[in-house]
Amino acid sequence: MATTHALAADGIAKAYSTGKIQTRVLDGLSIALEERELALVLGPSGSGKSTLLAILSGLLRPDRGHVVALGEELGKMSPPQLERFRLHHTGFVFQGFNLFPALTAVEQVMLPLGYMGIDTRNAQNRALAALEEVGLGSRVHLRPLEMSGGEKQRVAIARALAKKPQLLFADEPTSALDSVNGKIVIDSLHRIARVFGATVVCVSHDHRLAASADRVITIADGLILSDIVRSNDALPPSVTLPELST
Amino acid sequence: MVALARKTLFYEWRKFLPAALAVAFSGLLLLMQAALMFGIFDSASVYVNTSTADLWAGYPGTQTIELGRPIPRDTEMSLRMDPDVVRVEPFHWIDGDWRGPADRGSVSVFISGIDASADGLMFAQAIPAEMRRKLFEPDSVIVDQADLPKLGLAIGGSAILNGHRVKIVAACSGLRALGGVNIVTSLATARRLNSDSTDRDKVAYYVVKLRPGANPDQVRDRIEKAWPGRRFTVWTKAEFAHTAATYWMFETGAGLGFVFFTFVVFIVGTVITSQTLVAAVASHVREYAMLNALGAGRGALRRVVLEQALWVGGIGVIVGAIVSALLMLLARSQSVPTAFDATAASACVVLVLTIALVSGVMAVRALSHLEPANLLR
Ligand SMILES: Nc1ncnc2c1ncn2[C@@H]1O[C@H](COP(=O)(O)OP(=O)(O)O)[C@@H](O)[C@H]1O
Ligand SMILES: [Mg+2]
Repeated sequence: MATTHALAADGIAKAYSTGKIQTRVLDGLSIALEERELALVLGPSGSGKSTLLAILSGLLRPDRGHVVALGEELGKMSPPQLERFRLHHTGFVFQGFNLFPALTAVEQVMLPLGYMGIDTRNAQNRALAALEEVGLGSRVHLRPLEMSGGEKQRVAIARALAKKPQLLFADEPTSALDSVNGKIVIDSLHRIARVFGATVVCVSHDHRLAASADRVITIADGLILSDIVRSNDALPPSVTLPELST
Repeated sequence: MVALARKTLFYEWRKFLPAALAVAFSGLLLLMQAALMFGIFDSASVYVNTSTADLWAGYPGTQTIELGRPIPRDTEMSLRMDPDVVRVEPFHWIDGDWRGPADRGSVSVFISGIDASADGLMFAQAIPAEMRRKLFEPDSVIVDQADLPKLGLAIGGSAILNGHRVKIVAACSGLRALGGVNIVTSLATARRLNSDSTDRDKVAYYVVKLRPGANPDQVRDRIEKAWPGRRFTVWTKAEFAHTAATYWMFETGAGLGFVFFTFVVFIVGTVITSQTLVAAVASHVREYAMLNALGAGRGALRRVVLEQALWVGGIGVIVGAIVSALLMLLARSQSVPTAFDATAASACVVLVLTIALVSGVMAVRALSHLEPANLLR
């Protein structure tokens, strides 16, 4: 690899063994992703999308191959170093929103910022800005119990966004949502790539999301089946919600 | 920093309530048993503590009042020889058999024959001069008012004590005995009530008042040195009270029971508290995993759990203290012997917070299989 990419994986393989049976999930897959790009990884259920995302984000170590993120090789880092790397450079959005029931939206977003050493005032400003960005500016004091699924997922996106990560990983972020909310979420992710220059990797089995991505990568049998770059320079629409517009 | 531990604890108080109650209940049990035990110790040394004697003389090796044996009558002279001694008074202690109203059967009692004069030393703090004068009347007795129901009689009632008819002339307070009823009489009455005729005139103890300002330890040493062949031992008031408490603690098994009970409370409290905390932590394991994915270190997450454990401990201590205080008031109003001091209370608090902290450490292990990669499926 001559040019440097924001995130690159080279020949990664991963197999799970349950009892005596070994399942090969990834089989020497290589991929290179750029900043300012929303890359959508599509594949049927069980095709290894989540495994790929976990390896790319440093949550899981591959059996073989290397991952270079922001110029650093993840395989050479110790677990605490990986934690530090994730703290300062990555954001996550998962299918389950994983919000703390006791915290309001703004507190959910502030929480990781505290671990980054950002003081409360700055954290609050950043959190409010991030919630504003995902269209929840008027919902900042609600707790998860008082929010819809779409709102919760947008809080989760704001939580990732407020960290100002260079790398953002999303695993099936829309699959618990209806199509309207799903569209809002994928557009938010797209805007984060464009406006903040982040490298956004989103894995999903939902082909409808392809319309909102800069690049669509399809995997099957542990390998890349196709990799299509879509030329689409238009800035994705910012979030304006029916229930929020007056 | 967002106060995740505290906010979760108060938002989901129902989840944490059993842990806080387990802590409170453990504290309550520990405190009540400490109070009862100290109460028992106080009762064991009630003879010593309610009297104004500075020194006690008794049979060598005597560990508690009940185990006293007669000592020679010339002991009194030996004691009086010391220049610092201003008063010596015999104290008669004998077992008794009390037969009150027919439907009561017999009650085992402890008879204390004391010097009934106004400046008498024995029970000076429990029986004021006015009351003790009544003992000069032959065959009159004074009992603790809390024991009246047990004897089935009121003031003025009479019963058969060791075969003699006696009459209750007054009721005092602060003389409850362990495992029996204290009956106070004059020395003359006690002598008559003594069924063992050979020792009738011998007493088990002499109590001594010293000149103001005299050092009891020095006087005790001086008396013992002056009478090398003596057949009695001299204790200071503090020594004799301590001996009685120690006897109850180590010789009767009360101490071992105390240690064992404390151990059981500690184990049960820890099991319940830790199970509750483990469940509370486990119910948020996905959120903790998400925080870990976002870069919050495992150490920081452990601190969240430990902080919750300490909150649970603190709240448990407060609830336990309130309930203990109420129960203690109830016990006092029923004359149940209880006693406790700041040391005992702090010991209970420390023990109970240890329960919470140990439980927290056990709950932290619920985070040990935190696998953020499992959030991706
Ligand atoms: N921790 C694991 N242990 C065993 N098998 C696993 C584990 N995680 C995933 N798998 C298996 O690996 C395959 C790929 O899983 P995954 O990466 O989650 O696929 P996808 O996200 O595309 O649905 C599936 O067959 C799954 O059952
Ligand atoms: Mg998946």
